[in-house]
Amino acid sequence: MTKMEKIDDLIKRVQFYFKEVKVEEFMTSPVFTIRQDQATVRAKEAMRLRHFSGIPVVDENDKLVGIISIEDIIHVLESGDLNTPVSQNMSRKVVTLSKNELIVDVAKKFELHGFGRFPVVDEEKRVVGIVTQHDLVTILLSKLSILYVHDARREPFVHTENYRSVPTGISLKEEIPEFQFDIDYMDVSLAGTGASKLKKFLLSQGFSPKFVKRVAIATYEAETNVVIHSGSTGVINVYSKYGVLIVRVEDDGKGIEDVEVAMHEGYSTAPDYIREMGFGAGMGLANIKRCADKMMIISEPGKGVVIEMDFWGHENESF
Amino acid sequence: MKVSDLEELGFKRITDGDGELKHGYICDLLSEVMAKAEADTVWLTVQSHMNVIAVAAITGIRAIVLCNGHKFDEDTMEKAKAEKISLFTTSLNAFEAGGKLYDKGLR
Repeated sequence: MTKMEKIDDLIKRVQFYFKEVKVEEFMTSPVFTIRQDQATVRAKEAMRLRHFSGIPVVDENDKLVGIISIEDIIHVLESGDLNTPVSQNMSRKVVTLSKNELIVDVAKKFELHGFGRFPVVDEEKRVVGIVTQHDLVTILLSKLSILYVHDARREPFVHTENYRSVPTGISLKEEIPEFQFDIDYMDVSLAGTGASKLKKFLLSQGFSPKFVKRVAIATYEAETNVVIHSGSTGVINVYSKYGVLIVRVEDDGKGIEDVEVAMHEGYSTAPDYIREMGFGAGMGLANIKRCADKMMIISEPGKGVVIEMDFWGHENESF
Repeated sequence: MKVSDLEELGFKRITDGDGELKHGYICDLLSEVMAKAEADTVWLTVQSHMNVIAVAAITGIRAIVLCNGHKFDEDTMEKAKAEKISLFTTSLNAFEAGGKLYDKGLR
């Protein structure tokens, strides 16, 4: 798949979560523009210095008249004159967005036109923002509260190969989990039952004790979170793929208001009686982060929580 | 030292089990225990509910000493037997109990 196809594919999978998101929520604003009567060399310099790949072009009333991209500049460099006005070298066919357009429609426009960016204009055609593929990906991630918290390999999120199998787990749906446990109890003192079972299962499969302990601790914390916080039941699914052990703990409960805040060590919404039992110290997610090689949380209020934790064997743990 | 040596130190045995002990750990926050305690540990706590067994099983804790004269729940004892975790109680507080274990060489 091309990058664009990947993004589009991702959007289709998760659009349910953010159908209502409008352009004004994720456009970059204010936006750098260039006047059509300015010399093309100015556009070239702005691109070089500010790392733009394209700049909206406006007239003297600040209304959009075109867009000049790196491609246009290359044409000028090949066979033109950088001292000619921008209006001579820009593209006049500009597809624009309005502030109220929905993200799904924006994704379609990216797919349809193959442009790298779309200016956002108001009723008077004044440029109020710009949307790039980068903006699209960023809003996707933040809206979903997908936290790309920790990756031992330190690769940028969207470029990792196993990304497709990770964030929403859709591709895992066809996989049969190697281990499954229903978190079908609400009694907090039972928390960890699934994790204990998983530990035994993994040991029986020949995984090394050190590795298994990491997995079990992280699973315990995720399981406990379901019991304490979700107000619902949940499920633990474990898959083994490409040398990576994937543990997904999901519930249908009330979700997390702000995943970033919840990630802070010491932050907890647990009630007092839970704390008295030694839970709710706000260490759960921090513990998971410490144990897992990679973790992701997808949550929104009212829509449950999906925690996915990936583990791979370290040098001192034979896999 | 061995789990059975805990009896000689005056801790009251509640459930069976034995094995080598290398470390001791004192804490009542379960996440903290899981994060920091090593395998082959005797854990000193005032938490007596069933979940301590899950924490012990996952962490590799062999024995739990419940301090300050607290009593284990019935469920906890059942679960401990199933998971082969040795339970002990003591009227000492965790600091005093820990001192005894430290003297015996646990770290």
